[in-house]
Amino acid sequence: MELALDRPVKTFVEVTEVWVPKGDTLVLAEGYYGTLTAFEEASRQTAFAKGEGLPGKAWAEARPVVLKGFDGSYFKRIEAAREAGLTSAVAIPVFAGKELKAVLVVLCGDDENRTGAIEVWAEKDGVLMLDDGYYGAAKHFEWVSQHTQFPRGQGLPGGVWSAETPILMRDLGSGYRFVRAESAGKAGLTTGLGLPVPVPGGKSFVLTLLSALGTPIARRFEIWDARRAGRGEAVLIDGICAREGPLWTGEAEPERKVSAWQGLVGRALGTGVPVVESGVPGLSAGYDTMTALPIHRAGEVSHIVAWYC
Amino acid sequence: MQKLVVIGAGMASGRVLEHLRDTAPDAFEITLFNAEPRGNYNRIMLSPVLSGEKSYEEIVTHDDGWYGAGKVNCRFGEKVISIDRDRKVVVGEKGEVSYDKLIIGTGSSPFIIPLPGHDKPGVVAYRDLEDTNAMIEAAGKPGSRAVVIGGGLLGLEAAAGLRLRGMDVTVLHIMGHLMERQLDEAAGYLLKKDLEKRGIDVLLRASTKEIRGRDRVEDVLLEDGTVLPADIVVMAVGIRPSVQLAKDAGLDCGRAIIVDAQMQTSDPAIYAVGECVEFDGNIFGLVAPLYDQAKVLARSLLGEVDAFAMRELSTKLKVTGCDLFSAGDFAEGEGREDIVFRDPARGVYKRLVIEEDRLVGAVMYGDTGDGNWYFGLIKDGTDVSAMRETLIFGPAYQGGASADPLAAVAALPDDAEICGCNGVCKGDIVSAIEAGAGDLGAIRATTKASASCGTCTGLVEQVLAVTLGDDFQMPAAQPVCGCTDLTHEDVRRLIKAQELKSQPAVWQELGWKTPNGCHVCRPAVNFYLLADWPLDYQDDPQSRFVNERNHANIQKDGTYSVMPRMWGGMTNAQELRAIADAADKYNAVVKVTGGQRIDLLGIKKEDLPAIWSDMNDAGMVSGHAYTKGLRTVKTCVGSDWCRFGTQDSTGLGIILEKRLWGSWTPHKVKLGVSGCPRNCAEATCKDVGIICVDSGYQIGVGGAAGMDVKEVERLHDARTEEETIEWTVAFVQLYREHAKYLDRAYKWIAKVGLDWVRDTLADDAERAALVERFDISQSVYQKDPWAERASPEAARHFKPLADLTLEAAE
Ligand SMILES: Cc1cc2nc3c(=O)[nH]c(=O)nc-3n(C[C@H](O)[C@H](O)[C@H](O)COP(=O)(O)OP(=O)(O)OC[C@H]3O[C@@H](n4cnc5c(N)ncnc54)[C@H](O)[C@@H]3O)c2cc1C
Repeated sequence: MELALDRPVKTFVEVTEVWVPKGDTLVLAEGYYGTLTAFEEASRQTAFAKGEGLPGKAWAEARPVVLKGFDGSYFKRIEAAREAGLTSAVAIPVFAGKELKAVLVVLCGDDENRTGAIEVWAEKDGVLMLDDGYYGAAKHFEWVSQHTQFPRGQGLPGGVWSAETPILMRDLGSGYRFVRAESAGKAGLTTGLGLPVPVPGGKSFVLTLLSALGTPIARRFEIWDARRAGRGEAVLIDGICAREGPLWTGEAEPERKVSAWQGLVGRALGTGVPVVESGVPGLSAGYDTMTALPIHRAGEVSHIVAWYC
Repeated sequence: MQKLVVIGAGMASGRVLEHLRDTAPDAFEITLFNAEPRGNYNRIMLSPVLSGEKSYEEIVTHDDGWYGAGKVNCRFGEKVISIDRDRKVVVGEKGEVSYDKLIIGTGSSPFIIPLPGHDKPGVVAYRDLEDTNAMIEAAGKPGSRAVVIGGGLLGLEAAAGLRLRGMDVTVLHIMGHLMERQLDEAAGYLLKKDLEKRGIDVLLRASTKEIRGRDRVEDVLLEDGTVLPADIVVMAVGIRPSVQLAKDAGLDCGRAIIVDAQMQTSDPAIYAVGECVEFDGNIFGLVAPLYDQAKVLARSLLGEVDAFAMRELSTKLKVTGCDLFSAGDFAEGEGREDIVFRDPARGVYKRLVIEEDRLVGAVMYGDTGDGNWYFGLIKDGTDVSAMRETLIFGPAYQGGASADPLAAVAALPDDAEICGCNGVCKGDIVSAIEAGAGDLGAIRATTKASASCGTCTGLVEQVLAVTLGDDFQMPAAQPVCGCTDLTHEDVRRLIKAQELKSQPAVWQELGWKTPNGCHVCRPAVNFYLLADWPLDYQDDPQSRFVNERNHANIQKDGTYSVMPRMWGGMTNAQELRAIADAADKYNAVVKVTGGQRIDLLGIKKEDLPAIWSDMNDAGMVSGHAYTKGLRTVKTCVGSDWCRFGTQDSTGLGIILEKRLWGSWTPHKVKLGVSGCPRNCAEATCKDVGIICVDSGYQIGVGGAAGMDVKEVERLHDARTEEETIEWTVAFVQLYREHAKYLDRAYKWIAKVGLDWVRDTLADDAERAALVERFDISQSVYQKDPWAERASPEAARHFKPLADLTLEAAE
């Protein structure tokens, strides 16, 4: 297992928030802030109109948005973010058809030592190009990624794009001896989770979370298939965990399932809205926080991806 | 302690060891040989390792710790060379081991087609980690290309993995659809589409001739001359049980090592398990039954009573995002009934096959969540008659689903999606209705609902009915047949708009309710496809009426009539002599027809190729008297001979016939060319009738002289012969592209209006384009069916398949 077994010094993502529409604005439904209580306080008092701030922009433009460096930007909580040492953020809208269910926002701090990548890929002229991404200290990898494009079916972004399904890749740095893979290997990026971000209007976006050994984005990843027509049930189809090893089940083993509303993944399935929880007892494998992001297709939740730190 | 030796650390023998560990850890001292330089791993998960979606470490099932704890003496990387049954020893490459009990679990080896070049470096099979790593290695070179031979489970998993790794991949499959042993044509079509969406090229009916290259593979040559550059060639065409060792040891073997229900071979001290065994005439290729075997074997070794039994199998494909499932038997057959569900917008196809109230087969693509439930019904032989109506919707719908479609639509929430193509919800449609849209056309115009693939048309109409109540009249448009709710016009429009180029594409994308049409829709769809996509679509003779398939008109007494073409009704002494000879030779009755041809009646079916050959030898081709196509061009003698003739009507008739013959049309097409208004060729009751006058040519269309008698209407007055030909060809092509199948020209004109036809053809560019498209089609279809079938070689094959579902008379 290539995942770090020891506790990372600092996680790559410091804050995770779920914003949900209420009337004409987005309000905070839940969030994980760790020790950044002042930023949490500031966030709880904020709401975003459509087009306003980062979550509002993801809603209005119906696309995932990466924002690096808040000073002078449309980011609304600049002061609080600066004090908390947060410098970058990614907002992922969750749409069910035309309806916005929520906006998931992750915020990261700038750090010379933290490596990882949160990328948004967008279709342009029949290939996927990097829309933008946050890479922490992985500067060379960032540069390479900006100059890489993925045809249909190739690589993690191209694979997710054409399969319309989340994919969890192992060993990003080996095997693929292309420039990007080589660079990923050098940056210590090992595991990659890619997922489609469906938006109204049919433009294709793919989000990838690339995790490094020392500063993993997460130490456990799960992909749940929720396409059991009308049965309100999801099956764990892939996953890896630093503590429990591979999570997928073999041919002869029973499936791991959850029903809607059963546990946190079940909550994401039932509500169709992302879930962020921390410090609750009973989180899988004893982790502190978990994020579950539902993906909607044809009006129903088709998959849920979850990650734990 | 007894000594147990195991040959092969495979998926089956691994299971045996686990059972022994669980139930009798101290019963045996175990030695485990494996030719591969490693212990047991989950072989079926090599595909996700290849694609990068699993790591090899994750798929190891038994690691050093496991073997150590059980004190298994591991001899990995050492092949067993022979078994000496007299001395009860196994001879490995590095020495002997004696046994009390022996298990052979040598699995299979991939079959390599002995093509020229099959042994070149760069040709790999797909069986073990070495093969997988060789493929990963090959994918490491930027811009590298792979050719995968074999469109079955393994080949497609290899192709998908290589593609994800960044290669350009082409799959060559010899059959007409992918995974033909596990999927029907419809599911195979969707699978191909899904793979193509990933950038994988799939060539069907592709036969490989040679693998070429100097020191290693450079390209693959197909029988049709296609050359595909390749850095690696993966051969995944099948497996053969590995039984040489057992054969050499004198154990009873058939196709594989013969075992009884206790997994014992013909030697009581020797057992066999896995793909290397044959049980009751069966051999194996999937793991599920091997696991059963392993359990039985372990119990037999321990002296417990158990027996292996065959069971139903199901198939999945491990390509992320390609969701398919198949189980049981889904061949068509008498007494079998299909239930089909299609959702074109989501790419879903489900087919259940029922026989005597039992589910006997299931194939599904795109939505396979209920696969295991159906599999259970098949295995258990459950009586499904009570849930027949809702069976296709899966277990969630059993008991209590509403049968009234209107009630179901009324109950839908406003955000329920009605039109998947354009993302239109019920609420949008209701708003449009409230804003005044009162029929389907208005809904299409305002919301785009049902404007793309059209399969939601019925639903939209139901929303209209629910919303408007009595104010709404369900339209009475006639669907093609019971297989679909779409009209012919819809089908034609959608075949063009969605670029549907095969029958499976039509069935799926237009949501057909049957697996592959019926005797009503298939001839129509076959015609539409060949008329719209002459270069892409392959004509399907099985979708034709019996006369068109036999290339002759079947008569009352079961004999056939044969009618050679006589261009413009002209013939000569030599042709007449040949006809007379044929009449003698085949005992034919001779009739002069109304279309100025000579018909030979009473020909026996088995004589057809021979008489065709004789006619061909005399320079004559088929008169197509049996087709929906150009029949005859009737002419008068014209200005060459007749005192009244104004133009060379015979010459024009011959030119037209030579240009138009062989083309398929919605219904038969008859032409007449008269040299003057006296109209001796009776041109004014033909589909196209041309009257020559002093000033040129009057082109009339839409005549008939059958059940309906109709005089042509004037389409155009042409000045030159050239112009006449251009207009006539363009008219025929317009008819071919737009008319409903089995509408004669006059019926079609009545529907679209002569003005529209005339306006369309009056556009010079449009007319030229129609002529060009006609000529392209003729480049494919203008060939003499007699010549193709008259050779003795072809004649031997000329046994039309009796397909009762298609046996339709005119
Ligand atoms: C890529 C791939 C994907 C597959 N996917 C699926 C799937 O999705 N579902 C499914 O049901 N099945 C699948 N299969 C088939 C499945 O893997 C086989 O049915 C199964 O592995 C057979 O088990 P076995 O123990 O009989 O043979 P194997 O697993 O092949 O093991 C035989 C072992 O014996 C060793 N051996 C052979 N001869 C000797 C000798 N003389 N001395 C020593 N050792 C020897 C071989 O090296 C090998 O390790 C797949 C197979 C492949 C290759």
